[in-house]
Amino acid sequence: MRGYLLRRAIGAVIVLFALSLVIYALFYVAPGDPARLACGPRCNPEQIRQVREQLSLGDPVYVQYWHFLQGLAAGHDYSTGTGVLHCDAPCFGLSYQNDQQVTDLITQRLPVTASLALGAMVLWLLLGVGSGLLSALRRGGTTERVLTWLTLAGTATPVFIIGLLLLMLFCAYLGWLPFPSYVALTEDPEQWAWNLLLPWTALALIESAKYARLTRSSMLETLAEDHIRTFRAYGVAERSIVGRHALRGALPPVIALTALDLGSMFGNAVLTETLFGLPGLGQLLVHATRTVDLPVVVGVVLVTGAAVVIANIVADLLYAVADRRVALA
Amino acid sequence: MSAGTLEERPAAVAPPAAPSGARQVWRRLRARKSALIAAAVLALLVVLALAAPLLGALEGQDVGAYHDGLVDSARGGVPIGSYGGVSGDHWLGVEPGTGRDLFVRLLYGARVSLAVAAGATLVQVFIGVAVGLAAGLGNRLVDSALSHLSDVMVALPMLVFAIGVTAVVPSSFPRPVLLVFVIGLLAWGGTARIVRAQTLTLKRLDYVAAARLGGASRLRIARRELLPALAAPVITYAAILLPTNIVTEAGMSFLGVGVTPPTPSWGQMLSTATTWFRADPMYVLLPALLLFTTVLAFTVLGDGLRTALDPRAASRLRVGRTGRAARRRKRGTPA
Amino acid sequence: MRQLPLISRRAAAAVAGIALVGSVAACGPKEAGDAKGGGAAGDPKQGGTLTVLNREPQSDFDPARLYTSGGGNIPSLVFRTLTTRNRADGAAGTKVVPDLATDLGTPSEDAKVWTYKLKDGLAYEDGSPITSADVKYGIERSFAGELSGGAPYLRDWLVGGERYQGPYKDKGGDGLKSIETPDAKTLVFHLKKPEGDFPYLATQTQFAPVPKAKDTGTKYEEHPVSSGPYKVVRNTGDGERLLLERNPHWSAKTDSQRHAYPDRIEVKSGLDPAVINQRLSTGSGPDAAAITTDTNLGPAELAQVSGDKQLADRVGTGHFGYTNYLAFNPRTKPFDDPKVRQAISYAVNRTSVVNAAGGSSLAEPATTFLPNQKALGYTPYDHFPAGRTGDPGKARELLKQAGYGEGAAKGPLTITLTHSTAQDFEASPEIATALQAGFKKAGIVVKLQGLEDNDYKQRVHSTKTQPGLFLGHWGADWPSGGPFLAPIFDGRQIVEDGANFNSARLNDPAVNDEIDEINKITDHDAAAKRWGALDKKIGEQALTVPLFHPVYKRLYGKDAKNIVISDWTGVLDISQVAVK
Repeated sequence: MRGYLLRRAIGAVIVLFALSLVIYALFYVAPGDPARLACGPRCNPEQIRQVREQLSLGDPVYVQYWHFLQGLAAGHDYSTGTGVLHCDAPCFGLSYQNDQQVTDLITQRLPVTASLALGAMVLWLLLGVGSGLLSALRRGGTTERVLTWLTLAGTATPVFIIGLLLLMLFCAYLGWLPFPSYVALTEDPEQWAWNLLLPWTALALIESAKYARLTRSSMLETLAEDHIRTFRAYGVAERSIVGRHALRGALPPVIALTALDLGSMFGNAVLTETLFGLPGLGQLLVHATRTVDLPVVVGVVLVTGAAVVIANIVADLLYAVADRRVALA
Repeated sequence: MSAGTLEERPAAVAPPAAPSGARQVWRRLRARKSALIAAAVLALLVVLALAAPLLGALEGQDVGAYHDGLVDSARGGVPIGSYGGVSGDHWLGVEPGTGRDLFVRLLYGARVSLAVAAGATLVQVFIGVAVGLAAGLGNRLVDSALSHLSDVMVALPMLVFAIGVTAVVPSSFPRPVLLVFVIGLLAWGGTARIVRAQTLTLKRLDYVAAARLGGASRLRIARRELLPALAAPVITYAAILLPTNIVTEAGMSFLGVGVTPPTPSWGQMLSTATTWFRADPMYVLLPALLLFTTVLAFTVLGDGLRTALDPRAASRLRVGRTGRAARRRKRGTPA
Repeated sequence: MRQLPLISRRAAAAVAGIALVGSVAACGPKEAGDAKGGGAAGDPKQGGTLTVLNREPQSDFDPARLYTSGGGNIPSLVFRTLTTRNRADGAAGTKVVPDLATDLGTPSEDAKVWTYKLKDGLAYEDGSPITSADVKYGIERSFAGELSGGAPYLRDWLVGGERYQGPYKDKGGDGLKSIETPDAKTLVFHLKKPEGDFPYLATQTQFAPVPKAKDTGTKYEEHPVSSGPYKVVRNTGDGERLLLERNPHWSAKTDSQRHAYPDRIEVKSGLDPAVINQRLSTGSGPDAAAITTDTNLGPAELAQVSGDKQLADRVGTGHFGYTNYLAFNPRTKPFDDPKVRQAISYAVNRTSVVNAAGGSSLAEPATTFLPNQKALGYTPYDHFPAGRTGDPGKARELLKQAGYGEGAAKGPLTITLTHSTAQDFEASPEIATALQAGFKKAGIVVKLQGLEDNDYKQRVHSTKTQPGLFLGHWGADWPSGGPFLAPIFDGRQIVEDGANFNSARLNDPAVNDEIDEINKITDHDAAAKRWGALDKKIGEQALTVPLFHPVYKRLYGKDAKNIVISDWTGVLDISQVAVK
């Protein structure tokens, strides 16, 4: 087990390392001069040169990458003009565009994305697992057919269409909900939930389709297994069979998928964030990419990439714990 | 990660189904009414898209022509008339701000959406099969390297890649082709995984082993013995990829990294339409409805095809033991 | 050229159309804010909290880094400058008035030396006095590479400005020798050449005092020391949330411009434009006493608002000296041929373009390069009359003379138009496609080249990569013809290795000399006339095709009073707003 974890951890580091290399390479060939952008619209060549020096952009790209690794490992000192600004390890550097520490920018945005992802997860689990169970129990009936169609429709709808319809219905016509604008949980928990309700719902409606299908098929598979048949033969009540035994058998894949989805949500909720105007990591990433703000892009990509990689490991572990039939390779 | 994420667990690897005969597939598919309806809808859509210039001529409208007189300039350019300016000349109304004909633009948009999605699916299948075969037939080092590569692709945020690539590639390069490659290059992991798992199983089968003993090269084995057997699961999987790619293209156009104007695409129309929801609902609802219908039809058809081609594989995919199948499928759709 | 107030846009503005609950009855937008002090009824009183809902955070809150026209809006609550803009509605707001200084400055005979005296009783938020050395230090800081971002004029105008690297590099030195401070109240500026517009430049935030002892370099923006009516009490998220409260050491006696009615000002930014406009229109809770200083109504929102009388009453109209135009590079073919440029000028369909830019309420068709404001020297002309929708016949005729057209030697004219992919109604795809459709009628084939916004900006403003034809725009750094015409048409402002805005590479000694001559004039009205005449003259060469001047519609909360929108900024002036 420990050896397994160690190997996975090393693999994760390799993947993240490769990710940062890919980003550096991509930005190296991409047009757009960050020094000019940072300098302002009407800089003269001398000023651009100063800013370039300030941002160490004159160095060869491998030196820049080396400095980046150094900053990650040991932190970095930056001049403020009058003094020194220390950026603690792991230091992703300072944004080219506004001199903010990338770490600060990420920690400001992280709660928004985390709120979005976690809340949506609760909803999609409730919706998805619930309807999956229901359709597994009422096989062949109208309920199942309706649910199948609903889940198919869910898979087929892009989030920006569902989101738009929800906004139109609940904000414009009915006026039940505010137009989402993020309020921090620490500031006002009620407003936090109220403002996030629509984005949560939009995401959950789409994600839950997948969960309903997964729950249903896992349930059916489990119900068909020998030990369940044995229970039935012994006259164990159907409710107990479903609630205790079949559900337990069906949950591991659901749990594993949840971990994976949660992980990828950190970098992939851009459309939802954009549509609902939530200042999360996805929006930060898109903005930084457009302004050639390399330190921010690398920082966010590494954080979201780590979320994906860790989610992979967690999913496999959870799955192994929940289902002992699977041995960890 | 020594086991690599491309690797499949023993529990999930079922022996490959014998390739089903075409007639059998057709019989099973025909039994599913929903799949047939979906196929009909899609066929109609493809015909409409192909006939876009003809239908435009029939309506008497051009895809790029402006009609300044059809919008109320003082009120932000909202179409004059009810339902977004629907009239005998403009069957589905006009676009706010420009007065361009919506009917023709929607049809031309269909061309882009369908072509990009189909092209991207081909790229994904091609890379997926190549990587999957290489991983399945290659040695441990190749296998592990490829699995890590696939992990990096999964962790790389799609949009950063897309924005970065669209910035690097000169704008004279046709944008739909670029989109095909961007989407194709990012989401081949699922196909690769399935192909690899199948290859590993097939490798152990007698007829493949015999070919190996007979001294056939790996390339020859891959081409002669494995590819035919892989066709069914790959086609099934491609049917799942296609609607996902439509949504991805729409999402990218929605965020402004898709096809460039004046070429219309549904995602791009939706993106400009969003602000007009209240003032001109038709402008939003039309592309939304079309996009939804198309993706739904593809999903239903893919579902039917999967069952028809290989009932067992279908149930396997759907169960997705570790949920990985679902994850790979998910890849490429920013939410 | 400063950043334009943002027009609410596209994906981010997804919810815009739905935002505003309105009736269907169509009536034109009633424009409030035309009379002095629009807004809610009743006399403005002191007190209350004003909420500002903005899109962009005030992340540059350092007077050295800000690029403003007239000192900015929120910044001017905290930074006082030597002079400032007259806080009045409409055209009256284009005047420059004294702020920290007693007058607009005393020029030497040739307008090369400008002397200012500071008022008595000026103090920072901590009560310490504001001295002329602090103003000098504030200007010097703006030369530091760490604090780049401001306008280029100080570097270009001050003697020795091109070499000076700011006080951080030049620690032991006396700083810029061209700024003298003979005593604690006097400043003397020595310029390289006559600059009659110097009082206008002195409105920019670089002319705000910075106490050297309190300077913290790049971190100064977190808590800049206030010389204005409000001080920064809280600044979180790099200017995303700001709380401003009264600066007890500011005295209305020394400041005739800022009213400072509210007791507190809370700035909440990072919001979606659609959310901002929706919250302003609903006006629940603190949003009733809210305004925005950086968001205006987009076309779809305007369509919505104009149908609702109550909302339409709460919309102010702003004008700002700004022109969107087509820029030629006459050094490339086929634009080296004046006939081709003229043909394109005739072919342009300004109605389509105006519609693409949001319609006639958000854009006015332009035939002059100078914006339609008297202060900038607006002199009407239309050298290549294209009418409302273009004159394809005249265009074809000219093209034929130049050898283009069906059956002509060179075949139909095929050109590439470079634009940005940012959907901001500036150089955006909408405008480009509208032009493309219009040119088609004249037999001109237009290929579009859409570039990612930053790529676009760098390419079109570099002499090495500048395309033959692109969508350009230019804004007034202050309401005068000088900063509007000189960067675009002065041959000595062609920048070979940096941001170049003279895209026509015009280097005409007659034009250069006239620019120098007008710069000597310190009487603004006299200068304006000459700028107008110069614009008309340059226009004959068809180096640009003026397209439109944008108009801004700004929604404000129902309790906001004393709404003042000057033609200098086009934005409602936050220092005038009252909520009681």
